Amino acid sequence: MASSHVPSGAALAAEAAPRLRRRRPLTWSRVLRGSVPYWLILPVLATVGAILGYPLYWLFKLSFERYGLFELIQHKGVGVGWANFGSVLHDPIFWHTLVRTVIFTVANVGLTMVIGTLLALLLVQVSSVIRVLLTTGLVLVWAMPPVVAVQVWLWMTNYENGVLNYILTKLHFGSYLQHDWYASTFSMLSLVTALIVWGAIPFVVVTVYAGLAQVPGELVEAAEIDGARPWRVFKDVTVPILKPIFLILTSLSIIWDFGVFTQPFLLIGQSRIDTSNYLMGTYLYEQGYFFHDFGRGAAISILMLLMVALLSVAYVRKMVQFDEVR
Amino acid sequence: MKARYVASFALVAALVAVSTAAARTDSPTRASASKITVWLQVDAQTGWPDLVATTNAAFQKAHPGTSVDVQYQTWPDHLGKFDATLAGGNVPDVIEMGNTEMTKYMAAGAFANLSPDKSSFANSRSWLQGLAASSTFNGKLYGVPYYAGSRVVTYRTDLYRKIKAKAPKSLAQFTSIARKLRAKNGKRSFSPVYIAGTDWYFAMSFVYDYGGTIATFSRGKWHGALTSPQARAGLAAYKRFFDVASRGSKTGTEDRPQPYDVFAQGGAASIVGPAWFSCCVGKKYKTVTNQFVMPGHKAGQSMPGFLGGSDLAVPKGSSDQSLAKDWIRIFTSTAGEKTLQAKGNIPNATNLLGNSVNERAAKRSWFVPTAKNWVNVENGNVLRTMLARILTGKDSIKEATSTASDNITLTLNRP
Repeated sequence: MASSHVPSGAALAAEAAPRLRRRRPLTWSRVLRGSVPYWLILPVLATVGAILGYPLYWLFKLSFERYGLFELIQHKGVGVGWANFGSVLHDPIFWHTLVRTVIFTVANVGLTMVIGTLLALLLVQVSSVIRVLLTTGLVLVWAMPPVVAVQVWLWMTNYENGVLNYILTKLHFGSYLQHDWYASTFSMLSLVTALIVWGAIPFVVVTVYAGLAQVPGELVEAAEIDGARPWRVFKDVTVPILKPIFLILTSLSIIWDFGVFTQPFLLIGQSRIDTSNYLMGTYLYEQGYFFHDFGRGAAISILMLLMVALLSVAYVRKMVQFDEVR
Repeated sequence: MKARYVASFALVAALVAVSTAAARTDSPTRASASKITVWLQVDAQTGWPDLVATTNAAFQKAHPGTSVDVQYQTWPDHLGKFDATLAGGNVPDVIEMGNTEMTKYMAAGAFANLSPDKSSFANSRSWLQGLAASSTFNGKLYGVPYYAGSRVVTYRTDLYRKIKAKAPKSLAQFTSIARKLRAKNGKRSFSPVYIAGTDWYFAMSFVYDYGGTIATFSRGKWHGALTSPQARAGLAAYKRFFDVASRGSKTGTEDRPQPYDVFAQGGAASIVGPAWFSCCVGKKYKTVTNQFVMPGHKAGQSMPGFLGGSDLAVPKGSSDQSLAKDWIRIFTSTAGEKTLQAKGNIPNATNLLGNSVNERAAKRSWFVPTAKNWVNVENGNVLRTMLARILTGKDSIKEATSTASDNITLTLNRP
């Protein structure tokens, strides 16, 4: 508009008012045009709904039923209301397992985030050749299927012929010949933690590294010129910019590590799993599948879902509030 | 503009058509009678693959056009897989079940009633009492006894000859043999008698040898009985024997590693297990291997061996029950049972019994409590955990048995 005429406020208001009052005609072409996006995502929604919705519906239905081996064969459960939930919440094993799993999750998530961030910071500093090597190594770890990784770890920590025992003995850390890594609960779960953290680091490193690229170099330089030590620079410049990424990564890690099943179940082995080393994932599987109490297993599953939701919501709120205060 | 609508609707229509078409072709077809599925354990694959092959050949001759798909399962996960097929509807036509696993599934109605056909199975009138009992529920027959096995000691005759030892007649004698073997062979990882710490089939033999039992049934309820002084004495004897004789893992299981693999690698002078272990002791030691019955703590008496065994059942949803029964009929015929006997197993009928070391060992035997929920005690690793804690010293025998006993009482009495 090349006009130099600046409309007055009153004129603007007068112009706007009729526009607000005049309704846009609802024609077929307008409706169709507006609905195209929904038609395009309909197949995805339908597929996701079918894949997730049907099992979820069954899960909720099962948790209110008694469904054992007999009912499995009949394909029909017996409704028992809240009995499954009551029995689970009154079970001391459930509470012990919950505490153990929370400690396990904190350890896993903490180690994953700390080591992942440190490696990402390292990636920024090193030369490009080393960076390629390091990234390749991380991607290979990331690409390894968990079941294969567990098998390799089992061989490495084998009682008779494991390479871990051999190396530790040769390096004079003491006599680790025929050391049983699965003898105590702490030892077992530490191995599981090591395996899970090892597998989870690549994702964290790559994501944080990408985020570090967004930290403006001028800010870092300015802080350094002002005499800030590296830790100060990290704390006051890098972390606030990376806050959203840390938030997402930590929430995802909590969700994954709280309900992890593959690594504990395969590494500890079905013949060593018992109430003293249950994690929520293996506890749920044992209750549901091995004791043929599918209703109870479903109830535990839903309680886990609620707990993870609570944890995530609480964490996200805390981070957002912290942000607002600052 | 119009092209955009046409394109998007066409896309949606195409996707819907493709997905439903894919769904239709992916739906599982009911197993037609041109094939039956048989689930056997890997023991058959390792121990008597020739019997399976001849059975399949005879079956196909009798039913031309029908093929047999034998799928080998492992003990730890075959029940989980079976449950999945029960839920999904594509059950195998024949399944091998351990005799301790039958009760729960019979009670849940998983198997077809074989009572009308009982007389058509070979030697059914003289089936081994223990095996026949494990496949009967509420007076009806749901399984065909397959084979039984006790546990014997497989040993290296050359190593025993070096210390001038003969087959021991008592536990004390066996312990002193173990000590001499250890003195002769200084390698730290060498086991005079390789035992896996949580091999409860072997450890509970000590309990029964001293007069104890795992659980008793009285006044309509099960009571865990491992806290009795006899049971505790038995476990103490087991710990003493293990400490002298075995360098196996205290928390390890008896199938990983397989004892015969340890034997074949020269890591043990003797192993405890089913008699058919002699198949797989390796080329190097094949000529210097023999077996004897495990001695009890009283001289001249053998240690009661766990009377393990398997039954063959036909799940209710099987695609063709008569074909399945036919296959079982051929597999457990007198000729089939004689083959199993030659491999070191106990055949399923008393009129076929011989005097092999395995059958001698079976004269004094024990079996698990015949409770519907027994398999939950096994799956919950109650006995394994108890043994691991005793052997590693984490719990005293008193504490470990109390915990296990309470656990057993709770589990066996659950509705």
